[in-house]
Amino acid sequence: MKEMKKIMMAAIFDVVEQMFYVFLEPVGDEYSDYAMEAAIQFKGDLKGEMSILVSDGLAESMVHNLLGLEKGQMTKEDIEDCVKEVANMICGNFLGRLDQTRVFDLSMPSFSQPPRKVVAGSDSCRLYFDSDGESFGAVLRLTN
Amino acid sequence: MSFNVLIVDDSKSVRSVIKKIITISGFRMDQCYEAVNGKQALEILSKARVDVILSDLNMPEMNGLEMLAAIKADSRLQGIPVIIISTEGSDEKRKAVLEMGAKQFIKKPFSPEHVRKVLYEVIGMEDEEIHERNEKDNDGSDF
Repeated sequence: MKEMKKIMMAAIFDVVEQMFYVFLEPVGDEYSDYAMEAAIQFKGDLKGEMSILVSDGLAESMVHNLLGLEKGQMTKEDIEDCVKEVANMICGNFLGRLDQTRVFDLSMPSFSQPPRKVVAGSDSCRLYFDSDGESFGAVLRLTN
Repeated sequence: MSFNVLIVDDSKSVRSVIKKIITISGFRMDQCYEAVNGKQALEILSKARVDVILSDLNMPEMNGLEMLAAIKADSRLQGIPVIIISTEGSDEKRKAVLEMGAKQFIKKPFSPEHVRKVLYEVIGMEDEEIHERNEKDNDGSDF
């Protein structure tokens, strides 16, 4: 799990910095106050789900940085679409880094606002970050 | 050189970003069609002249691989270059996509520079063909 956490962190940094111009600082294992969640399931040699959790302000920053929209111009759909794409890109990037030779099937990302109440067990990998006072989290749950 | 592009992705954000990259890259784009999945893309292709397709793989209803197979099986469409842009970047997937006839594979997240470079390569390779099509379609109407 330690190695997986390292790979997951590299995937998160790669996607949010390159695509959304957001810079994150790890804040340990403390669950913060998140406004929304996008989740994506994957299956292949490994099976599981990755959830991305973000605060309202960070979601708005990502939409702004990606699409150039100001807060008053962006719709709920813009925010949902953007957060779902973050989850899609991070999950794909993570699985590619895990093993470039394996093929995984990814589901369509789902969106929940507020986030679902999912208990993260010992088979899960959790990473939490701060970005200028806004929150970003990622939870990986393996199911086999 | 001007051309018609079809962007296929279920994410509106990604379609907007790709469109913006093409626009700011100095390409002369006549028409930019957008589709949310392969099925909608094929509907557009049945009515409009498209010179290059940029498509995601993981989409609802009809995914990018199914769309690519349909395009390659259609003699009227098989010459249109398809660039796949996807998060699913394993060596196996990439190989399968290129073997099926895609011209290039871009992995998400992508940089504008990389998309631009690939597009220049693909459009450059197809330059003559696009020109011929433009000539042929001068009297025709677009979608």
